[in-house]
Amino acid sequence: MIELVNVSKSFSNGVDVLFNISLNIGKEEFVFIVGPSGAGKTTMMKLLYREEMPSSGKVIVDRVNVAELDYKQVPYLRRNIGVVFQDYKLLPKRTVLENVAFALRVTGAPRSTIRRKVMQALELVGMLRRVNAFPDELSGGEKQRACIARAIVNNPPILLADEPTGNLDPTTSWDIIQLLDKINRRNTTVLVATHNKSIVDSMKRRVVALENGRIVRDQLLGGYGV
Amino acid sequence: MFSNLEFFLIEALRSFRRGALMSLVAIATISVSLVIFGLFLLLVINLGNIVGTVSSRMDIAAYVEKDISLEEAGELQLKLGKLPGVEKVEFISKTEAWRNFKQEFGTKLELDDIMTSNPLPHTFSVKVRTPDLLPAVAKQVSNFQLIDEVRYSGKFIDQIRTLVDAVRLGGAALVVLISFATLLIVVNTIRLTVLARETDISIMKLVGATDTFIKWPFIIEGVILGVLGGLVSFIVLKFSYDAIILRVAAALPFLPLVADQRLLAVIHLVMIVGGTALGMLGAYISVSRVLKSEV
Repeated sequence: MIELVNVSKSFSNGVDVLFNISLNIGKEEFVFIVGPSGAGKTTMMKLLYREEMPSSGKVIVDRVNVAELDYKQVPYLRRNIGVVFQDYKLLPKRTVLENVAFALRVTGAPRSTIRRKVMQALELVGMLRRVNAFPDELSGGEKQRACIARAIVNNPPILLADEPTGNLDPTTSWDIIQLLDKINRRNTTVLVATHNKSIVDSMKRRVVALENGRIVRDQLLGGYGV
Repeated sequence: MFSNLEFFLIEALRSFRRGALMSLVAIATISVSLVIFGLFLLLVINLGNIVGTVSSRMDIAAYVEKDISLEEAGELQLKLGKLPGVEKVEFISKTEAWRNFKQEFGTKLELDDIMTSNPLPHTFSVKVRTPDLLPAVAKQVSNFQLIDEVRYSGKFIDQIRTLVDAVRLGGAALVVLISFATLLIVVNTIRLTVLARETDISIMKLVGATDTFIKWPFIIEGVILGVLGGLVSFIVLKFSYDAIILRVAAALPFLPLVADQRLLAVIHLVMIVGGTALGMLGAYISVSRVLKSEV
């Protein structure tokens, strides 16, 4: 599903972030990307949805090298990748319903489809009670649920979550991870970048550890540390 | 596509309402720029008109010293009228000329005391179609045997013509410059409304919106701003120009100001269409720039 082949990334200001990364993630896998801040987790995820371009190497998502993708094709790539952010990135002046619907609106989907899919996604994340609330009125956990609903409303085969529990308390964090796990079991490939040790340790999933831009460990059923 | 159009309209109106203050600023900027543009356009048109009127008053005076009969005069008038380039020929007999002269100056001088006989010649006033025909027509007129002398102010005509050309050329150049400046101002004003929604745009891109899809609501918003700005400028311009015409007609009645309603309607239409085009183009340029700055 996702394949990185000898990927390196340096920013134009000369900072090197990733060195010769190779990684293969199969369909419907659940993978934690762990490592300290600045290890390159976020950059690696951004390469997948073409928010960043690799300096060298291949980034293959669903059999397509996204580094070679025509600019006009990028939106279609992104419709197949749901992204969840630490800071949620919800549109502040829109309700939960509108935020989630927005991701379908931009695809030009008919209104009846939008309504049905939005309701399904909100039900899945347990936010049906809060559909008409604005982001300001939501707790951190609720915001993250709304963000996840927006990411999956289009049924993308891949879901990326960049520090999804970074701003949440332990209980809420656990709920969110459970939710991501549930989505994974609905046949979605899920990548979670995190430095939440307790969650990684108790989930016993595949762990890819990054340090200073290099993969230092790739372990099935792993924990946060060695 | 229909559901998209509805979405674009709703988004545009929403953004317009949300940034009410910014929208008002944009409308005001567009109106002020267009009013300046319109006033300048009217100034150039009027200058051209004044110069044109003055030069169209230029005619050739052909003098006949010999005493001729009315029949002879009529015949000559017809012949002169048939010359190429001639618009109108008027005959002013020496008696008539003398009477006019006396009417004008007679109150100050006792002319009949000084002059025992009429010293003035018969005059044919020949109007030509365009000022540049004057020298050629004057030459043909002087070929007639009866005509003793031909006069026209050639040098003056040349100067007038240079002035007309300068006003037209300079005016056109300035109109282009001012249009460009107006576009720049409008682009930058609308850019502020676009920049205020940069986060929205980046989120739209993240969830897979195409650039075209992102652009439409902004372009529609730009059109709304442009139409409103154009309407305001049209109203301001119409009332201020009407007031100017009234004042000028009272104070300087000899100045031929353009009051042709059809021409003015065209200018007003230009204001509204121009405003719309400016708003649309401004929005397009601004949103394209913001989109390009994001990967």
